[in-house]
Amino acid sequence: MQIICISRGTLGGGRELAEHTARKLGCACLSREELIEAAIKEGIQVGRLEMAMIKPRIFSEQLAIEREYYRAFCTAYLCDRALEGRLVYHGRTGHLLLPGVDHVLSVRVVADQEQRIWRVIRELGLDRAKARKYVTDVDEDRRRWARSMYGVGWEETAHYDLVLNLQHMSVENAASSLVAVAQLPDFQMTPASQKAMTDLRLAARSRVALARHERTSRAKFKVRADGGVVTATYLPQDSRYAEFIPAALEPVEGIAEIRATMAETGILWIQERFDPASEAFQEVVELATKWNASVELLGLAPQAAGQDEEPSPPPAAPETAALEPAASGQYNGGIEDDVEEKASDAIGVKSTLDELAAVGRSGGGKVVRGGAQDLLESLDPSARYSLVVVGDLFLDKGHAARVRMTRDLQRFVGDHITAPVVGTDELKTQYLFGRRDVARLAGFMAVVAALYFLVFSNQGVVLKFLFGRHAVQVKDWPDAYRSASALDAALPRPTAERFRYSEGSETISWNSLAPMTEADRDALLGLVTSPAHRDAIEELYQDAQSRNFLPILAALAVFIFVPVIAHSYGTVAKSLMKLIKME
Amino acid sequence: MPTFLFEHFVELDLANALQVVVLGFIGGILSGFIGSGGAFFMTPGMMNLGVPGIVAVGSNITHKFGKAMVGSRRHGELGNVDKRLGAFLIVTAFVGIQIAVWINNMLFEEGGDGHGGGAGAASNLYISMVFICILSLVAVSLLRDALRPRDEQHAQGPSMKIANFVAGLQLPPYVYFPVANVRVSLWVLMGVGLATGYLAGTIGVGGFIGVPAMIYVFGVPTAVATGTELYLAMFMGGFGALSYAYHGYVDIRLTMLLYLGSLVGLYIGAYGTKVVKEVMIRIVTGTVILICVLSRAVAVPMYLRQLGWTETDPAWDKYFNGASKALLFLAGISGCVIILTNVIRAYRERRRIQSSLMEAKASA
Repeated sequence: MQIICISRGTLGGGRELAEHTARKLGCACLSREELIEAAIKEGIQVGRLEMAMIKPRIFSEQLAIEREYYRAFCTAYLCDRALEGRLVYHGRTGHLLLPGVDHVLSVRVVADQEQRIWRVIRELGLDRAKARKYVTDVDEDRRRWARSMYGVGWEETAHYDLVLNLQHMSVENAASSLVAVAQLPDFQMTPASQKAMTDLRLAARSRVALARHERTSRAKFKVRADGGVVTATYLPQDSRYAEFIPAALEPVEGIAEIRATMAETGILWIQERFDPASEAFQEVVELATKWNASVELLGLAPQAAGQDEEPSPPPAAPETAALEPAASGQYNGGIEDDVEEKASDAIGVKSTLDELAAVGRSGGGKVVRGGAQDLLESLDPSARYSLVVVGDLFLDKGHAARVRMTRDLQRFVGDHITAPVVGTDELKTQYLFGRRDVARLAGFMAVVAALYFLVFSNQGVVLKFLFGRHAVQVKDWPDAYRSASALDAALPRPTAERFRYSEGSETISWNSLAPMTEADRDALLGLVTSPAHRDAIEELYQDAQSRNFLPILAALAVFIFVPVIAHSYGTVAKSLMKLIKME
Repeated sequence: MPTFLFEHFVELDLANALQVVVLGFIGGILSGFIGSGGAFFMTPGMMNLGVPGIVAVGSNITHKFGKAMVGSRRHGELGNVDKRLGAFLIVTAFVGIQIAVWINNMLFEEGGDGHGGGAGAASNLYISMVFICILSLVAVSLLRDALRPRDEQHAQGPSMKIANFVAGLQLPPYVYFPVANVRVSLWVLMGVGLATGYLAGTIGVGGFIGVPAMIYVFGVPTAVATGTELYLAMFMGGFGALSYAYHGYVDIRLTMLLYLGSLVGLYIGAYGTKVVKEVMIRIVTGTVILICVLSRAVAVPMYLRQLGWTETDPAWDKYFNGASKALLFLAGISGCVIILTNVIRAYRERRRIQSSLMEAKASA
């Protein structure tokens, strides 16, 4: 059973291509319009959602829940139709509703801009300028839709298996080429991809059921399914709805077990084999408890012998489940033995999930076969993780190759997911308190203590430097020349601008980069008669004989010193919080 | 009257130093809890200790520089920083800061160092007035939001009125920001950047304009708005620190004492947001800010007298200052007590659940 998802632009020929292809394959053709109609019948406010997504508005909580409802409904509808038989779907980004389903052939149809404008002029009767604006606006709306719905760029070709330009190809011939590509083993359903689709449908149906139930309809849920085990994750503020989850999911067929996890955020843990008795498991659980997070497991099945040993970052050809035999390691033309259940048990996903459920941290899990690209495609693009933990992978390789390939995969995942990606060995150093933290805490504490001691035991020197001006202490400065206005009146303009008396600190100062001239000194001496005051002015004159670069140096010193002290003391504070598990 | 070293650096004894640490701690808790600000408490608090307004602002903006550097790195790791948006705002924010420093410096140099005994009274009055105007607006909006009927809050989320109104204005050219997923007019961006920079330079709390503007005017998600503001604050703080330090208005001792309390407080406050209900966060924040406004307003008659604009007995200054200080500490301490009570309760509850889970696991 095949699924071809055609992503079309306005009047770009995608609809005709979909209809021709469906006719040639003798299968059903489903359009986005039909899907929308079904969603409206379901009671989803599609028009309101559409307006909110394409206009620069803020999403209210209620609309965000409605968006989840819509996405789950569309996924369930598409899976239902696809599992009935071969299907050609044409719309915007249908393939993004089916993450992790390998046999989906995703096609983008593009057409020449001028050609599309001409079609708008002909079919809608608009003038050229309006037609051009119409095409641009509709494309922009779709771009925003895809970004808001899935967090991806609609036009990014990396999301498609095939991009067809209909400028020099007839729809008929394009349909023939699509039929030929669809026959390739890469796009045939395998037990693994069928299971992925069944799980996806069960998760989507469960989400729809939660949205339909009056007691759970106003809460945010993330639902995952794996072999009949449905995991619903909800936020702490929605905990009052949790008791209604079993009742809401009662009408959904195919659920063997329901797990509900309260979590503020999610941690994705990628590994080849999971072991609930391992140290890594304890560390991940400790971190998840600290952050109040759910843990989602992703088992990455090993590369088969003879395959490219790189973790297949693009543009390398992805290792699909169809090409990746589960047990024998032999190429089987896309036909895979039905060993998926056994395989996931063998790598410990189920037992680890059971343990996670026991401590209330289960976020669901699945197994992916292939390389980095397949791993990425299997992830729900709307899921937001706080951390991705990459554990032991490529276990059949030698140590050096394993380290290199794991590091490459870590980088690749880090480039595509907006969350920190760390190895299990880094968990302890970065997020949990270990021996290295004790050493770091002690080291930075010593630095901080030294800096504070230096500054506070030399306050006079430090402040004089920061003051940045030449200053001399004076006692009993004449009352008549204490205010700025009085000095302004008594001194010539340039001298008055640079000379200051401070009552609070009883100092006279020269506030300029330029040196004090003899004329300045004489003008100041003219103000006072007391020998002590005359001496103070002479002293200030001697001090201010060279150009004063202190203000520049003081500014630079502050600029450099402050990050050092903030970083040092920040590390101390962070380590202390880590120590008492209060991050 | 406090004694000064080198014109405007206040002499610090142990009691004063401890008070600055406490100011930093309370400011840090409030800052971590609210997501931005904290300066609204620390700056007037230092002024109450006798630190001239301009030195309080300069030291606080320097403190903010390091703090934002630490905070924005964490937000960056979580993907909450739209660097492109930050870059566009920085340019005009720098202009805003420069305007603020220039006005502050001019008022400090020329106003109120007469026989009234209040060096920099004009600058103090100006800073206080900007404080009162801006923070009254922020507090009233927060409290109005918090006291909205519950159902209405749930249905509406952040108000879209301003974002929709601004989006409806045709003010090309527009700039698209991919991380925040918004398209904003360049002119609106410049206006917000200028206002943020001006306030950061004047009272050290640009975030009170930057964050709401990004959420309500641009339509940026809250986490991205906070992350981007911290990123922006790092540059604004750096630039502000350079500018104020060049003029000799940064007291590094105050900055260091503030850090001593604030960085620990920041973590506790941030933890508080996870365990305190959102309505409570808004009510606490709004009330604390409102009392801070009142505290500043009580000090205004003192500055007016020092400028010679009103005729009051100079002996009353200590009462005005005392009342202002008492109100400020009342605001900060009561806010902190509410936050800390909730934090400790939640912390103990979590430890209890954790140990009971461990026990259950061990017995299974």
